[in-house]
Amino acid sequence: MNFNTPFLRLWGMPLVLALATLVGLLAALIGDGLWDALSWLLLSSLVLVVVWYIAKANRKA
Amino acid sequence: MATLKSAKRWFWWHKWTSLICTLFLLLLCLTGLPLVFHEEIDDFSKSKRGETVPPGSRENASLDVIIANGKKAQPDKVTRYVFWDDEDPSIVYLSLSDSITAPPDNYKILQMNAYTGELEEQLKVDEGFMHIMLQLHTDLFLGIGGKLFLGLMGILFIIAIISGIVLYGPIMKKYDFGMIRNEKSRRLKWLDMHNLLGIVALFWTFVVGFTGVINTLSDVVLGLWQQGQLAEMTAPYRNEKPLNPDSLYSLDLATKTAVKAAPQMGLRIIAMPGTMFTSKHHYAVFMKGNTPLTSRLLVPALIDAKTGQLTDMRKMPWYVNALFLSEPLHFGDYGGLPLKIIWALLDLITIVILITGLYLWISRLKASRAQLARLDNRLPLTLKEEVNHEF
Repeated sequence: MNFNTPFLRLWGMPLVLALATLVGLLAALIGDGLWDALSWLLLSSLVLVVVWYIAKANRKA
Repeated sequence: MATLKSAKRWFWWHKWTSLICTLFLLLLCLTGLPLVFHEEIDDFSKSKRGETVPPGSRENASLDVIIANGKKAQPDKVTRYVFWDDEDPSIVYLSLSDSITAPPDNYKILQMNAYTGELEEQLKVDEGFMHIMLQLHTDLFLGIGGKLFLGLMGILFIIAIISGIVLYGPIMKKYDFGMIRNEKSRRLKWLDMHNLLGIVALFWTFVVGFTGVINTLSDVVLGLWQQGQLAEMTAPYRNEKPLNPDSLYSLDLATKTAVKAAPQMGLRIIAMPGTMFTSKHHYAVFMKGNTPLTSRLLVPALIDAKTGQLTDMRKMPWYVNALFLSEPLHFGDYGGLPLKIIWALLDLITIVILITGLYLWISRLKASRAQLARLDNRLPLTLKEEVNHEF
């Protein structure tokens, strides 16, 4: 994601991830089926982000 | 953004709130890990399940028969609660105690077949690995004091999260998101890892921490409800004579009356007269809605246990509903097995945050000023200042 202002460069990703968590946590509460799937998608993205950046650092090293 | 002075103050808060709660949080994360999967583990270790018959294809047995069969199996005990299995409509559970007023931890659970009314098995409730995990997680085997203490640790954890977010700004100002410097020193690598995992998981850790704190207040919430709404709903009965326990109105008919009053809702739990969740004169039939959200927000229907009349049915006050909602958001049990697996992974991430935080503190204690000075020029300004002033 491309965040050009200094504020978004610093806080863009944290805000996006916090929003994804919020929507993900609520989605599974609101409904079943597709809502559950949306929740899995959004919340698992947190884990994927962690895995992605650790893998990136290890590639460089 | 943050001045040096305020960054130092936030750092102080972050350090001390974390240090005090870290070991307890580690315990909570480790014991919470199997607890996330308690339903699956319980199912696995259960000797047999109730018959799985599709709902509606068979008549439910009368609750009066089920209660009587429970009494037959445990003649010197009384049924205090009747509750239904969330997943399996063929199962009804009875909670029996030595007396109606026995302490909350005095109970046995009988699993009954909802169609035949027969006893299936007595569940093992206060033994085994999962019981130990649950007690360590909720109150450290110390009762309400331990529970509230863990709530206090949760509040410290929340302060640590908030101060951590504030510190993330000055520390990461000059760097890209997700930076892990793993070629320079182990300390820097773990610092970067701590910052990355902390900021990624922050909202989840905040929600699970906050709802955990609310859960520790369950006894307080119950007390407020008893003094408030329940007392109000049962006020006309305050001076009535106690009921003769042998001449109560049929529980089965009372329950049907409650279901008729809210046909779109399902049965969750019934509290017998004289228990904590009702008056001495009422069956309290707690009904649940049919969405994942409303199935958590129970609604009590109070049925006069002598006449079988529905005397009141109300939505719970906001503080009880807050407790009800904080349960799924803490347990992660409301979105199937995939959500539980994600819950477990985020729990593991939290464990890494705690351990790296502890490591950073220990390594700072050990490191000499000289070692830190060598790193000096690689650190951002605020952290450099902090290093020079703190150590």
